[in-house]
Formats: sequence, structure tokens, C-alpha cells
Amino acid sequence: MIVRVLDPTHELKAAGVQPAVRPSSLQGKTVGFISNGKEGTKGYFTQLERMLRDDLGVADVIWRTKSNYSAPADAHIVDEARQWHAAVTGVGD
Amino acid sequence: MLGSNRPALSSKAYDVDDFAAAQELFHSNGWTDGLPVVPPTEAAVEACLDWALMPPDQLIGIEPVRAQPITAEKLAINAVMAGCLPMHFPIVATAWQAMMKEEFLLHGVTSSTGGCAILVIINGPIRLEIGANATFNALGNSDRATSVIGRAIRLALINLMNVRPGGIDRTTLGHPGKFSYCLAEDEEGSDWQPLSVMRGIPQGLSAVTVMAALAPRQIMNEWTTDPKEILETFAAEMRANQRHYSIYGGNYAIVIPKQLRDIIQAAGWTKRDIAEFIYERARVRRGEWADVGKGAIVRDRPNKIHTALESPDHLLVVAAGGPAGGFGAVIPPWMGSKTKAVTAAIGACVDCEPPKG
Repeated sequence: MIVRVLDPTHELKAAGVQPAVRPSSLQGKTVGFISNGKEGTKGYFTQLERMLRDDLGVADVIWRTKSNYSAPADAHIVDEARQWHAAVTGVGD
Repeated sequence: MLGSNRPALSSKAYDVDDFAAAQELFHSNGWTDGLPVVPPTEAAVEACLDWALMPPDQLIGIEPVRAQPITAEKLAINAVMAGCLPMHFPIVATAWQAMMKEEFLLHGVTSSTGGCAILVIINGPIRLEIGANATFNALGNSDRATSVIGRAIRLALINLMNVRPGGIDRTTLGHPGKFSYCLAEDEEGSDWQPLSVMRGIPQGLSAVTVMAALAPRQIMNEWTTDPKEILETFAAEMRANQRHYSIYGGNYAIVIPKQLRDIIQAAGWTKRDIAEFIYERARVRRGEWADVGKGAIVRDRPNKIHTALESPDHLLVVAAGGPAGGFGAVIPPWMGSKTKAVTAAIGACVDCEPPKG
């Protein structure tokens, strides 16, 4: 006997997102780090800052930390990030 | 029934040869928790919606971080898969409404490496209507209703929020409550106010409380008639959790069985008295971390006091469990106060028969 069953998923296709334009070079640029605040981020971002400055000529590295590591970045951080040329986030545990 | 007045279901339908084929369809698509599911037929889904008096496109809520809408139809499909009967569906729907409150932080709760499950606690007359058993084996497959309601929460997370292990769910270990984590309060076996009333719901209404919860930590104390000594055992288990897991305060639940309740109630203690006692006793010095291998994060604050509860109001005291045995449970929060337990009244008229077509 044929059984007709229903799809349990939301079936909605995620709206496509357009990646930000990638800078051709980071020389002289400002890069922001958005940390989730966990211990493991400190060593990672410290090393990454050194590499960005020494190897790629980044002019300024700005560190910001979310108030809740399990929630989206605070609005004031998102607003500030608009002034950066690039951002690194979503890493660290 | 809502019958011909009900808008048609809009979900994609699949024709399968038989029950076994349905299982393979669902498992192969990653739509299950690994256990067999009840095939969600149109009739079964419509029966759930009719019972709750909900049209298919009724918005149960929108998950606030990912802006994912949850509709009654999709939730009902997952409830049927879990084994829910129509009379269970209003509880599932209300639990999801509560889970989508911003303070619950559903996204963090379900994606964290910390690996909690969503505990659903049922209060009010609906417990009796659905045959929920709040006594023997209260925290583990005690009855059909709580088993399937808890499972429906998880299946809907998998299918509607993509909370799959290795996907959105980044949990390191998890615990068995992720299959189903639901219990009813033993209101008939207790003189205390129901949890829902303690949390602001009028007496006599049915309600659910949802909490982002770790596995239960069982305690035992059968050797005293002093309420303080009994509750000290609970507090000690909370202190152990603070030392071994997370030191930060949040919503804890404690489940107190009949044997221990009888002693505590005979001494005239209310739930409020219990919460105030536990609040005072469940606290540790930050320096204690050094005793359990976490000295590196004590830093310069060894004498800072961390309470397990931000205030007595943050303790969920639940009467449940079989009639014999001095066993209780401490159920810790996922991660301090980053999530808050939410209590919501069940809005559907569960005492009414669905209207006839």
C-alpha cells in the first residue's frame, strides 16, 4: 500500500548572500578581530596579528570581544566593523 | 474538525511503498534522530492541527538569531514523527514558543560544544489528560506522553533548525536527554505550589517550562529527617557541578522525590524556603578551581564567591519521582545565565473537543 508522507524540513532555501568585496592587498589596511571571548582565541589572534602586521603590512588590528560567546556579535561591534577593511571572526574555542 | 475550512497543507509529499520504505526515506535524508519514526501522513498532521485549532500556516514563532520561522504545519509533522497524538501537540507548540523567546537563546543552546538538551517540564491539568506519569522513573521513559513530547522537541530542532550533529549542533559529547527530556510535576503528590505557579502562571492553568539542561546528577540521602541535611546534599552536588563543569550561576532544577518531599513538607518548608536555603549553600570560592585541575583560570581572584544561582528565583524546584527512595536529581544549566528558563501557559483549549466539521 502506498503511503504518502510529508517533508519535515522547512523547505526554505536560504537567501543567497553576497560576500563582501575582497581587498586586493592588506597593506596599510585596518583589520578587526571579533573574538568569542574564549581562552583559545588569545593565542590564535595574537599570532594572527603578528602575521598580518609583519607579513602582510596591515596598519592596524582592532580586537573586539562579544559579550556572549554563544550569541551574535553586539550591535555596537557590528556597527564599528563597517569601518574596517576586513574582519576575522567565527574562530576559537 | 476544521475540515474543509482548513487551508491545505503545503509541505512536499512523497509516496513510498510501505512503512519500511518510509523509514529509509527519512533516515537517508537525515530527518530522524536515528530511531524509527511514525510516518507523517496528511491525516495525522491534520489531526494535530485540528486538535490545537491551528491553521497550517500559523506562525508558532521566529527563531531570533537565524530568523527562522516555525509554522504549525512543520512542527506538527515533526510531532507526528516523534509519536505524538493530537492531544500532545499543544504542549509541543507551546514549548517551541517558549524556546524562541530571546532570553532562551535557542541558537546558542543548540549549537554549543557544551551539549545540553532542552528539558520540558509540564504543569497543570493537561498532565492528567495526556497520562503523563510524574512518579516512577520520572526522568526516563516513564510514559508515552512525556517520551514523545520530548522527542518532538529534538526532531523539530533537527529538521527545522538544522541542528544536526556536526552541522549546527557542534556538541562535544551531549547526553541521552537529547533523545527526549520531558517530565511532569507530581502536583497530586505534593503540597507545594506547582513550578508554573512559582513562575507566575495562574493556578489551574496548564503550562510548560523549558530549560537548557545538562544531564541529571543523581544524589541520595536516606539517613536523616532534617530538611537542611537533605537539601545540603543537593547543594553539594551543585557545588560539585560548579567546580567540575561551570562555576557560573544560572537556572538549576532540582527534582525532589516523594520520600524526601514528605520529610521536607512535614517540617513546613515551602519551595521558596528551599530555594533560599540552596541559594545560600550552593556557592564556591573561585580558588576551589585549583583543587580540581583548573588552577590556570583562578587568576588573581581566588576568594571571589560564585553562587550557583543568581537569586533564589533561579532555582526550579520540581516534585517528581517514585514513592520510595531517597534519590533526587540536580539538573544543571547549559552555561550559567547565558540562557534563561522560560515558562509559558498552554493556550489551546485542551478541555474542548475539536469542532465538528
